[in-house]
Order: sequence, then structure tokens, then C-alpha cells
Amino acid sequence: MRNVLLMAQFTWREALGRRLLWAIVLLTLVFLALYFLGLNFLLDSFQRRAAQLGRELSPEQILIPNAVLVLMGMYIVNFLGSLISVFTTIASVSGEVDSGTLQSVLPKPIRRWEFVLGKWLGHLSLALPYLALLALALVYGSYFVTGYLPPDPLSAVGLMLMSALFLLTLTLLGSSLFSTLTTGVGMFMVFGLGWIGGILGSVGAFTRTPLLERLGEISSYVVPSDQLWRGASVFLQPEVMLRAQDATRGNPFAGSELLSTGYLLWVAAYTLVVLVAAVWVFGRRDF
Amino acid sequence: MAPAIQTRNLRKVFKGRAAVEDLSLEVQAGEVFGFLGPNGAGKTTTVKMLLGLTYPTSGEASLLGKPLGSLEAKRHLGFLPELFRFHDWMTGGEFLRFHAQIYGMGQEATRRRIPEVLELVGLLGRENERIKGYSKGMQQRIGLAQAILNSPRVVFLDEPTSALDPIGRREVREIIGHLKAKDTTVFLNSHLLSEVELTCDRVAFVDKGRVVQSGALEVLLRERLEVELRVGMVNPQMLADLRRYAKVLHHSPNTVLLEADNEAVLPFLAQTVVNSGAGLYALTPRKISLEDLFVQLVKRKPL
Repeated sequence: MRNVLLMAQFTWREALGRRLLWAIVLLTLVFLALYFLGLNFLLDSFQRRAAQLGRELSPEQILIPNAVLVLMGMYIVNFLGSLISVFTTIASVSGEVDSGTLQSVLPKPIRRWEFVLGKWLGHLSLALPYLALLALALVYGSYFVTGYLPPDPLSAVGLMLMSALFLLTLTLLGSSLFSTLTTGVGMFMVFGLGWIGGILGSVGAFTRTPLLERLGEISSYVVPSDQLWRGASVFLQPEVMLRAQDATRGNPFAGSELLSTGYLLWVAAYTLVVLVAAVWVFGRRDF
Repeated sequence: MAPAIQTRNLRKVFKGRAAVEDLSLEVQAGEVFGFLGPNGAGKTTTVKMLLGLTYPTSGEASLLGKPLGSLEAKRHLGFLPELFRFHDWMTGGEFLRFHAQIYGMGQEATRRRIPEVLELVGLLGRENERIKGYSKGMQQRIGLAQAILNSPRVVFLDEPTSALDPIGRREVREIIGHLKAKDTTVFLNSHLLSEVELTCDRVAFVDKGRVVQSGALEVLLRERLEVELRVGMVNPQMLADLRRYAKVLHHSPNTVLLEADNEAVLPFLAQTVVNSGAGLYALTPRKISLEDLFVQLVKRKPL
């Protein structure tokens, strides 16, 4: 266990040593600043338009634009969180194999599973707090700017974290098996697959095509990231929006149905299996 | 006491091709052991199996009496890889502290040991620079430092002087001498046979994943010598007589090259030539070198 923590700590030191952490923090601050600036200007222009027409926007009228803007912001946050989870983990094992640095670590008194689990712990302790902080900063920053607070931001963040953790763990498995490049391309395709699957499903729902809906459902089990986002988005939308979506259906960027406990258990079990697979694969490989 | 390294019928097959065919060897504790062979003979694969980096397909092996890859064995190991690449975003000192942590060395031991090894490999005073900025030779030195950090009982050095200049090479020889003085077993993979000759107690020649010959260096090289004779005119009777004392490797009208088992035959060779009436112009004995032996043992067959 001591070695697991050592490798986790090592991952942090690497992120600091390679100035990865600073790059992420800096770019994130730029993103947040741009978002809040944009939000502020946009709301201002809404108010001005209304004033030009001799009206004032009531809180109910401004509710939907506010909610949509926060939802869009969170969509980007979720995307960033997924990307960071994947890209920071992509070389975690394969990079050490490719460069040969592993050869001076593994012959030392550390077990292979300790190495992989330590890497996993290190990366998730980097990526997940990042995602949580960014999401909360966006939600509460928007609240400060607009006065709008989504119904249940914490549950939404919880589901986003679950999605990021799944992607991160799958990336670790890829990294334990393949080279960095292969893992990168593979994860990009997996991520895209989940996305397309989600769109197929929503198009299916919109056009009432059972086959497409079925494909979307299957993809939500194989690559749950998109479905988890849709589940998270439910907690970010006010009642009115959810009802409106129920009527129109098929929004590719947000969902209107709560995820079932069974589905969440599936994702948890799936993630665990992927983690065990990563440990197993790494334990059996020749270097 | 268990041998430091023991393998029996060790075999490794990669995708149907055997990298190590059938390797049996034994290295005693405290020995400096040279593991020699041509490229692709399976030397690095063998080392990787002994270190637990690669799993054998079949066969048995133990390190210090413990199974390969076990923590008890790994605690007393040190390894300098052939293609040494380290976490170069760290400083030399950070790098050594990190590896000390993996060894589970306590704070006190770490604080005491790191300056020691830095001094030994000649990097004292450079530990606060990033490894990225080190020269190739310095990187090999820091690699050597991490290999001996835990005062290991067995050290594997895979081409430890490949990036070093002659002075660096001499220093590595001194470090190996230092390790030997502390009863450390050194397993040396090297192409630099002159170096092996200077440092090793015992060697094994491997070819195609088998040990083709092994033994104490002084026994393998003892008194075996090549003798070159320059004579007036070689005649068949003279050659026949010479063959009674030594093996004729080569002859031309004026020279004969012989391989003798020991120096005692030299006077007889001279006498033989003189008795044949040919006139002896020169008799040059030359000790057989490790390189000669190497070439003899692993003469490459045409592919």
C-alpha cells in the first residue's frame, strides 16, 4: 500500500515537474474568465434589447436563457474534464514502457499491481478534483453573475465525475496494453463512439425509430460517458426546461430522464472490471 | 549459502522464436561474472528474466535462493539497464530519493547513502541539476548510482560503460572493484572484452540462448598461447614434428602459427625447428586473449 501512495505521489510530482499542472490551471482560468465575460455581455445585451422594446425581462423570462447558458458551460466543463482525464492518463504506463524508465523502477521492490494502482490513484486524484472544482466554479460563478442556480449541481457533478473516472480507467487499461499513440487514437474513437451513440439515440427518439434508439441504448452501456452527461444535465435544468424537452425529445446535448440506479451500478461495476483488467494485463506483460 | 543466481533450463520464446533456448548457469555470491555473447544471443532477455521484467516460458531460476520477481529478491537487487533512460524532469537528487523510497530505505539511511553513491559515481555537486541537462555519460553515472543505492547483494550491469569515455570506464572498473570488496555479486553484460578481462572472475559465453562455455577467466585463458614461428623454410617433417607439441593453426613457406597449451613446450618447439635444419628466425609466443576465445567460440555460421 505504501508503494501505491508513493506512485500516486510520483504522478503528482511528475505533473508539477513537467509543468503540466500549471498549464492546466492557467488555461482553465482563461476559460473561466472568457465564459463569465461572455455570460455577462450576453445577459447585458438581452436586457438592452428588451429595454429597446420598452420592456423589462422578468425573472421567469430570463430563467431559460440563464439555464441554457449554464448548461452549455457545464457541457464544455464536462468535455474538458473528460479530455483532461484521458490525456493526463494516456502515457501513464505506456510512456514509462516506451521511454524505458520502467526498467529502472520495476526491478525494485514494488509489485506490479502497486505500480498500476498507484498511477490510477495519482491520475484520478489530479483529474477528478480538477473537474469538480471547475464545475463548481462555473455553477457558482454563474450564480454570482446571473443569480441563477441549477436545481441540484452536486448530483450533476457527481455523475460527471463518474463519467471522467470511467474514461480515465479505460485509458489506463489502454495505456497498460498499447503504446501511447495507439491508446490516444483508441480513446478518441471510444469517446466519439459514445457521443455518436448518444446522438443516434436522441435522433431515434425524435423520429421514433426503434432501431436507432436501440443502438443508442447499447452504446450507453458500452461507452457510458455520454449517457452519464445526459443524466447529469437533468440536475442542471429547471423544471420548465425538462418539461419542454419531454415534449420535443431528442436534444443531442442534454437529457431529460433521470438515470436508474441499475444503470449507475452497471457503470460502477464496469469501471471496476476495467481497472482489474488493467492491473491484470500489466501484471502479465513482458517488458 | 544459496548461489546468488541460479538458472536451470531457462527458456524464453517470443512469438514462436526462442530468444533464450536453454540456459543453465550458476553465479556464486561475491563473484564478478561476465556474461558474454554476440548480439542477439539472448543476454538482455536473460537479464530481464532474472529481474522479473520478463517472464520465462519454461525453466527454473532463483536469485539469492528466492524466486524471480519476489519482493525479497528484489530488495537486494540493483540494475543498470542497457538503454538507460530515467525520469529526466527530476534532478539527480530527487531521482535518487525517489528510488530510495521504492527500496523502502529510511530517511536516515537515504540521507547518508545518497552523497556516498554520488561521490562514488563522480556526480557529487551535480545532484541539484535536472537529469535532462546531464550529458549522456552523466546519465549513465546517475543510472549506476541508482543501481547501487540500496547496497545491493546482486548488481546487474548491462553495458555499463557504453556512454563513458576512457576515464569514466576506468572509474566504473574501480566501482566494480569496490562492489567486489564488499562481497557484492556483479553480473556484467559487456561487449568490451578487454574490460571483462580486467574485472571478471568468471565468465560464460552464450550463443543462441545457450551457454557454450563457462569457467573461471584465469582457467579459460591460463597459459593457452599462440606461437608464431618464423623459419628458413617450412617442410612437412618439421610440421609433423611440431604437431607433437602444439596444434598447427596455419602455415606458409616461412611461418607457422601454433596454439600451445602451456609455455613449457616453447623450448621443444625451438629445438624441433633447429633439428629440422631450417633455421629459426623468430619465436613469438602470444597469450590468447578473451577476444580470441570469444571469436573461436561463437564463430558465426552463415545465415
